[in-house]
Amino acid sequence: MGASTKSIKLLEKKGSKASLLGNNAIVRGGLEAGVQFFSCYPGTPSSEVADTTAKISREMGIEFEYSVNEKIAVEIAYAASLAGARSMCSMKHLGLMSAGDPVSTMPYVGVEAGMVIVSAGDPSCLTSPNEQDQRHLNKFLYYPIFDPATADDALQMTKYAFEFSEKTRLPVIMRPTTRVCHSTGMVEMGDLPSEKKEVGFTKNPQKYVPIPVNARRMRVELTQRMKLAEELLGESNFFPRSGSGKKGIIASGVAYTYAHQVIDDLNLWDSVCLQQIGAYPIPEKIIDSFCTQVDDILVVEELTPFVEEWVSLYLFKNKIQKDVFGKLSNHFPWEFESSPELAEKGIRAFLNLEEMEEVEEAPQTELPARPPVLCPGCPHRTSFHMVNKVFGKKTVYCNDIGCYTLGYGEPLNACDMLLCMGSSISQASGISRVTKKRTVAYIGDSTFFHSGLPALANAVQANDNITVVILDNYITAMTGFQPSLTSSNNPDIEVKAELAHFSIEDAVKGVGVKKVHLVDPFNETEILTALKDVKNSEGVNVVICNSPCVIHKNRITKEKREAYQIDQELCTECSLCVRQLGCPAILVVDGVYTIDEELCDGCDLCARGCHTDAISIISKSGEACAKQ
Amino acid sequence: MQNNSAVKTRILFAGTGGQGVLTAASILTETLVEMGLDVVSSQLHGMAQRGGSVQAAVLVNCGLSSALKNGDADVVLGLEPAETARALNSMSSKSVVFMNSTPILPFVLGQEYIHKKGDGKYPEVSDLIKDVKSKTSKVSVIDATELAEKAGEKKALNMVFLGCLLGSGLLPCNMDEFWGIISEKMPPKFKEINTKAFISGVEIGKQQVVG
Repeated sequence: MGASTKSIKLLEKKGSKASLLGNNAIVRGGLEAGVQFFSCYPGTPSSEVADTTAKISREMGIEFEYSVNEKIAVEIAYAASLAGARSMCSMKHLGLMSAGDPVSTMPYVGVEAGMVIVSAGDPSCLTSPNEQDQRHLNKFLYYPIFDPATADDALQMTKYAFEFSEKTRLPVIMRPTTRVCHSTGMVEMGDLPSEKKEVGFTKNPQKYVPIPVNARRMRVELTQRMKLAEELLGESNFFPRSGSGKKGIIASGVAYTYAHQVIDDLNLWDSVCLQQIGAYPIPEKIIDSFCTQVDDILVVEELTPFVEEWVSLYLFKNKIQKDVFGKLSNHFPWEFESSPELAEKGIRAFLNLEEMEEVEEAPQTELPARPPVLCPGCPHRTSFHMVNKVFGKKTVYCNDIGCYTLGYGEPLNACDMLLCMGSSISQASGISRVTKKRTVAYIGDSTFFHSGLPALANAVQANDNITVVILDNYITAMTGFQPSLTSSNNPDIEVKAELAHFSIEDAVKGVGVKKVHLVDPFNETEILTALKDVKNSEGVNVVICNSPCVIHKNRITKEKREAYQIDQELCTECSLCVRQLGCPAILVVDGVYTIDEELCDGCDLCARGCHTDAISIISKSGEACAKQ
Repeated sequence: MQNNSAVKTRILFAGTGGQGVLTAASILTETLVEMGLDVVSSQLHGMAQRGGSVQAAVLVNCGLSSALKNGDADVVLGLEPAETARALNSMSSKSVVFMNSTPILPFVLGQEYIHKKGDGKYPEVSDLIKDVKSKTSKVSVIDATELAEKAGEKKALNMVFLGCLLGSGLLPCNMDEFWGIISEKMPPKFKEINTKAFISGVEIGKQQVVG
């Protein structure tokens, strides 16, 4: 229970052996390198990198910010680097795409102080709409990329990356994947630096302004800097080799640990030679010496056959006849995460060992699913329910990235399409412009400022018939309660006066929306009146639903509202509450409708909708009170 | 490369969000590391704040990989019956399983019931136990939720299971030293409850060793 064992060793000055979460190991690596500037946009599985840094930034003298979006996070950290401060920024894989514009030109211009972009990958789409292999940015945009397999790799690589970035003048990408981010491992911590570097910007427009005449010069230099990067990596410790056999196995990322484990378990160290690829560009001399040592090669890696193609090309160029196996030879699937089982299957096939014993599946009872769901008392549920009442089933609902995506499916059906951060408003524009029907966009506070605002201005310019419902819960809830621009409006948080009252309403009016309603979604009359008004108007209009994230609110205030209960004598088992709301606190056990007292947050939405008034607050004496 | 001098122990926690699975795994990891053991751990959970399936593996002296292979769990701490059965593919005949008999009902059963997709019933706990026993005979079924409540707080559930683990003697470490490290860091108001819950688990763990 509440046992706090958060003895985070991150701030220990002296180096020592410790156990760290992969994401925290990245933070420690940055601290050991003397990072001075940190910006980010939260996104699973990267979020702890930022959240941990946020907690220690003041003590460690790091300039920190949760940026409004990843593009801004990258640009601001990059400028800090140009001014001589070692800088870091973190985001998920999709965030780096969002920052694609600045990211694509930064290697040309180059850095001054070291800069590391942490862009965490999510194979198997565990918490993302896609999986992608950011390693291709190495060849595509000329980024050196580090690919840690363990928490210790994450620490050592991050620390090294700053110095390396300065020597090559290249910004560097650190690409851990979910299993590295969210696993703990033993790490060797080094000492923390005792002094901060001097910071200052020296003007030199030729160096920092990539107008075409300069860009072409930079492009030539970039090729040379990538060559230097390859040379330096060739001298680094991130390409360890073990085993003395003639069967070559090359592995990268977390798949390296699986290959290592399989070789351990099957006692194969005499027959195989295992080569880790910890960074890109892969130094040619590493591949060269490995190839002279082995007869043929199996590549074990996640996602695309990136290393496999690299090795194949090397052998082809050098006219070396050796077989390379991996994804292209169907030893491994292209999709999703690797696993110890997949690694073992491939390695057994490569070594002509007996196939794995099929695990006998025991006869198993069918297990109930536990899908993600909006929490009891969540204001988004109320907002969706009220919009459904007014706009009905035929309206197209474009949803966005955040907790509110959970409005997907039965019974709220609040998500007919979804694409990426900020896409709800643009998608609503596109739908309404061709169907000529009013279309609804749902977007949260953080996502609205991330990339919804330009889309809203665009819709105003086109006078689209759309209603944008902004679900302002004052926090970036889904990624772990990072502050958003409107957090200062949260009635439960005391904030500095100068931050207070950041207004979505003003922002929306500022880009030209004429009809804007600010409502409390739990005030039924207020929200229904507003929704009816916007439904029957022309052009772009906005309803801002203001209500704090209930989980966050309960954590701050350390209290929750009184729970409700269902009077079995009054309940007619009409199923309306379950059918319309999808609240996880309402259970149906053997046909009997009940409310889980512990889960219920007392939002009263079900009580208000109950036709027979069967739902009411549990009074302290245990008897039901009349509902308000 | 390989260290055979140290006993390998692979522990899997299985439960639902809100039961304290991740907290227990992180307390276990940190404490074992403080006792000088090599530990890697991993978490498996979806997007839900609460109520989703959660698993965490803690691997002691097992090398680099934090992933638990199919059938490789030495001990399974199942904080919820259906979630214990969900971890079946991590078990083998060698696995020792401590399994809570009190279910956490998923709300989707209600949805299934009214939309007539399935019977909307939680599986019979006895069937879940039978499934687990078909994998291994070393299964202790306990009403851990009740034990936690008896100790004074339902949330001490994870401490009951840490007690089972330590009581079983399957961890290569000294129990008193282990609990000393944990209880020292505990907020005083929880110390008594947690200790009671832990000890009730230890008693069950010890029986598993004898049995």
